[in-house]
Amino acid sequence: MRPIQTTIAMIALAAAVALIHPGLIGPAMAQTGAIRIPVLVPLTGPLALEGTSQRNGAVMALTDAPVGVRIEYEVLDTGAAPETAVNALERVLARGGVSVIVAPIFGAQMLAMLPIAAERKVPLITISGTAQLTEMGNPYVFRFFPNDSVAKTAHALYVVEALGKKRPAVLFQTTAYGQSGRQHLAANFARLGATVVFEEGLDINLKDFLPALIKAKQANADALVLQLHAAPTALLLRQAASMGLGIPIVAGSAMHQPTTAALLQPAERKGVCAESASSPVSSIDPAVERWVAAYRREFGAEPDDFALTQYDAVRMAIDAAVQGARGPEEMRAALASGNFTGLAMTYKSDGMGNMAHDAIIMCYDDQGRPRIDRRYPRLG
Amino acid sequence: MSAIQLTANGLALGASYALVALGFVLIVNATGAVNFAQGDLAVAGGFLTVALAGVVNLPGVVLLPIAMVAMAGFGVAFAYLAYFPLRHQPPATVFISTIAFGIVLENGANGLFGAAPRLGPPLLPGGPVELSGLILPRQSLAIVAVTCVLIAGLQFVLMHTQFGRRLRATAQDAEMARAVGIPVGAMIAWTFALAIGLAGAAGMLLSNQFFIAPGDGTNLMLKAYIAVTIGGWGRIWGAVAGALIVAFFETILAVLLSQSAAEMFLYLAVLVVLGLRPRGLLGETIGRRA
Amino acid sequence: MPTAWRKNAARAAAGLNPLYAAGTVFLVVYALVFADSYDQRILAIAGIYALLVIGYQLVFGHAGAISLAQAAFFGLGAYVTALLATRLGLPFLVTFPASLAAAAALAALVALPVLRLESHYFALATLAIGQAALAAAVNWESLTGGGGGLGGVPPVSLFGFAITRGVWLLALIWGLVAVGGAVAWLLIRGPRGLAIRAAREAPMAAGAVGIDAGRMRFTLFVLGAAYGGGAGALHAHLLGVVSPEVLRLPVMVSCLAMTIIGGRTRVAGAIIGALLLVHLPEWFRFAERFGPLVYGLALLATIIAAPDGLTGAAARLRQFLWPGAPPPPPEIPPRAGSLSHAPASTELKVSDLSKRFGGVAAVRDVSFTLRGGEILGLIGPNGSGKTTILNLITGIERPDGGRIVLNGEDIAGWNPHRIARRGIGRAFQTPMLVESMTALDNVALANQTALNARAYYPGRRLADARAEAASFLDRLEIGSSAMHRRVAELPHGARRRVEIARALAAHPRILVLDEPAAGLDENEREALRSTLRDLAAQGMALIVIEHDFHFLSGLASRLICLDAGQVIAQGTADAVRRNRLVVAAFFGPTPGEDGAP
Repeated sequence: MRPIQTTIAMIALAAAVALIHPGLIGPAMAQTGAIRIPVLVPLTGPLALEGTSQRNGAVMALTDAPVGVRIEYEVLDTGAAPETAVNALERVLARGGVSVIVAPIFGAQMLAMLPIAAERKVPLITISGTAQLTEMGNPYVFRFFPNDSVAKTAHALYVVEALGKKRPAVLFQTTAYGQSGRQHLAANFARLGATVVFEEGLDINLKDFLPALIKAKQANADALVLQLHAAPTALLLRQAASMGLGIPIVAGSAMHQPTTAALLQPAERKGVCAESASSPVSSIDPAVERWVAAYRREFGAEPDDFALTQYDAVRMAIDAAVQGARGPEEMRAALASGNFTGLAMTYKSDGMGNMAHDAIIMCYDDQGRPRIDRRYPRLG
Repeated sequence: MSAIQLTANGLALGASYALVALGFVLIVNATGAVNFAQGDLAVAGGFLTVALAGVVNLPGVVLLPIAMVAMAGFGVAFAYLAYFPLRHQPPATVFISTIAFGIVLENGANGLFGAAPRLGPPLLPGGPVELSGLILPRQSLAIVAVTCVLIAGLQFVLMHTQFGRRLRATAQDAEMARAVGIPVGAMIAWTFALAIGLAGAAGMLLSNQFFIAPGDGTNLMLKAYIAVTIGGWGRIWGAVAGALIVAFFETILAVLLSQSAAEMFLYLAVLVVLGLRPRGLLGETIGRRA
Repeated sequence: MPTAWRKNAARAAAGLNPLYAAGTVFLVVYALVFADSYDQRILAIAGIYALLVIGYQLVFGHAGAISLAQAAFFGLGAYVTALLATRLGLPFLVTFPASLAAAAALAALVALPVLRLESHYFALATLAIGQAALAAAVNWESLTGGGGGLGGVPPVSLFGFAITRGVWLLALIWGLVAVGGAVAWLLIRGPRGLAIRAAREAPMAAGAVGIDAGRMRFTLFVLGAAYGGGAGALHAHLLGVVSPEVLRLPVMVSCLAMTIIGGRTRVAGAIIGALLLVHLPEWFRFAERFGPLVYGLALLATIIAAPDGLTGAAARLRQFLWPGAPPPPPEIPPRAGSLSHAPASTELKVSDLSKRFGGVAAVRDVSFTLRGGEILGLIGPNGSGKTTILNLITGIERPDGGRIVLNGEDIAGWNPHRIARRGIGRAFQTPMLVESMTALDNVALANQTALNARAYYPGRRLADARAEAASFLDRLEIGSSAMHRRVAELPHGARRRVEIARALAAHPRILVLDEPAAGLDENEREALRSTLRDLAAQGMALIVIEHDFHFLSGLASRLICLDAGQVIAQGTADAVRRNRLVVAAFFGPTPGEDGAP
């Protein structure tokens, strides 16, 4: 072989080694003594909006950790599929030294990550609402968001008891979020003696909601209950306002997000209510107000409940670290037995990893401003 | 009220699909290549108008031509990046380069504008129009009207101008066009400009009526692809008819059945149409290269 | 026997690109020595996609059909495995074959309506199937778990050992890739490979030599789906979760991109494409939310730098690193005794043959009989139905009425490839050749004995078919240098002779030629006439369409003259030539005047 060819072959080989070993690119190995908290959340794909809130909340907590603990973190995108999430998990686990992992809001991704967390004995802290996650006896999952059975209890209670409606129509997204929520809504309405007069699953790409709205109206529903993602919620509310639906609408947690509200004119969101765990932008708690201001400064965006609860979750983990929990097993024990008063609520495990038990209903007033209408503490 | 609104909404949706589909057809005719990024380009047009509306305070009807021209320019750049380097390759290769470009656009929008859906500027300010007792949704009507104007304009340019004849000659037989002295490369670049200008218009119209989010492109592309194929590959009016059929399934059939059933029936209808008419409802354009 | 094996192995090794050998060694060492648990996982996933893509190459690369349903077969396999494993507790040894079979069964079911569609229509129909599968997975909650999918799929367990990660998992998955790759490689080697390529690139030509392009497409589509189903089963076991994401467009897009980036037809391409495109997004994770954007740019750059795939680039790199002479052409065995072994007992009886196109009768009640050793000339003005008659006899068109009886069997309305297998060979008005193949391979692909023999090694069968092809080409005066050139580069006259050699290589009883002398010079015409005369003398029956009386007179034993789809005269050349109707048909009615042109 001629020298030039040998050189080319060598360079190619070196490039191949460098490229194929993904570990060679990216931050170095964990330093000893640091608490390593990787953030694995969807930053692209259909849940990018929620995942970005998760990221921002987590990063805020990680960057203003108290003096004395050294925190090390990296953010990895879990994308749109379980496969990408598991790859990210394997990547951070292979590097070692992980204490606890911020895990995605996407239920199917969590479902795939859970067995690995159990196998490798590393706790996951998430805000995914999918009820199933904490029903499988996996001790390594901690959910800092009311799960569907809590959230949908509040949702249904508000419709039936606060509004006095007995004939709700339910429109849900045909996603894990929508379908799981709809199941719990149906069970709660049945328990409360209300009849769901119309329900329909809607694709996440749907642009025209008039067909569903017309049918809900024809079914003589006295309230419209939504379990939809952000853009569909806003689009539906807009089309409902323009057709003059005329019945109260209680939306899912997507409607509490300021980015969703921003899509609508005040007149279009007037009187609309939404279920959530908290509503940072409408809080009158000074600590939350300070946090909201800091968030706006940091990210130039309006914070939502996903950011706040994920912030709380990471704060609880850091709190545990301050109190001496270092390795993942100590962290798991601390999360499982601890009690943490965060900005949104007080978190404590119910023994299955459910940390959040409070829900709220917030409504938009006549000027379209959000306010908390009712609190449902300690539901689950 | 409901029936009128339903029709208006359906027409507005169908009109936006038609604009995406038309751009798709123009590129297919001129190059034989499927532009999988057409949906993402429409979304890019939507975000462009969102950004424009943020810096200048102009009504939508004024922003529309600005956005279309800007997107047309972008279309030429797109052609030079994703099409021209591969013009002598089999069509499936261009398919992949446009897919790659679509991925760049979608994630570029996600990175620059964030994942939240955005609201674009309205075409005309104001609420519903009242016409002899009927209340008509103004934006939907404006969208349908603008789309009709654009399609008529396209038809005029293609059929009645020297430029249009050259474009069509290139589409029909590039070799022959080159032989009679038509600058084929420039004509193809112009076609991309025209097609992506139309996609930009679709994006703007959608962004006000239905919001715009970075991930919307795939679904738009899917609907446009269905429209173009069931209408008849390479046919302008076939694409428009196909777009209206797709919108019909999403509105009227969704009332009669359910949204998920309507979706299922749309795919079944595609299979039935192709089973009965293997070259689309209107057939292919005559004289297309073999 | 061992020597033969060693020789074959040596030949295969000589064909192997040393870059691939080096790459394989590198990957094995990397996987065993350097890779951590994460690297190994990425390699495992790449293996699963490699299987998916090997299957997709059969459909897209070899059958030439842009299917957008491969992800649907992948997803179906994953769901079948998830359901069988979680609901019924069945092990991998059941779930894997069941997923394979389910995907193949769905493919066979949908193949009937969609496989006859062309290019974009086929693509859309398969896309619709994929989207319908997705809609079903999302909405049929009681079975599929809806948007959340099905969790709790156990890892692969073989003989009591659970294979969750590490080297054993890699061994399992890449072992299956090796098996799948070998199966695909054997399938596309040898004469069958030529036939598949002919069916893809020149379906009419393939049909004319008896290749059943439809069945080939069907087999490749179903087999490709089975690979998809198997890959889906592995994916479900590896991930432990099956959600509608496996059915969404990005999976299909990745599969297509891997095929094109890697290379459309070579197994190595599937493996390289899968390895690269599974690793790319992992390399760009540092870019957080811009990761996919960088991935898109890398994809674009790769496709522009290597538009014919990385296997194409690797071939060029090999040529650059180790410039070598092209492989020597195979030796040509001594000239075979005769061009034809057609029995003289052949009898073709055409009676009352009719065909209408729209309102126009292209062929009306045409009857004639042809026996072995005869040459029948068909003449008539343009549009008189000559070519239509050949199309009816060779099955390219279906007759509206009448019978075509070959040795007692009515073949009217049969498919072209069946008719070709009964012994009717054809040369077209414009030669229909597989342009990208050498003249030698164009002829070799007609060798049905080599195609269908199961008895011995495909490489050997190909060598035999080529040797026989060479002797046909030699007899038709295609020299050994022209033989090894792509037919696209050959002059017109040579292309005609290649096509006739191809028809002869299928050993026909009857040879049908459409204006074989058109575009040939005087010497070529004379040579052709003498070849045709030889063939007839050896017992073959021929039908020849020709405008030129001179070419036919002295060659054809009988002429039939057609006008407007009807026989207006038949008999010896001289008799037909003097017929008034014939003269009128050729030169317009000239009442009162008599005489030959």
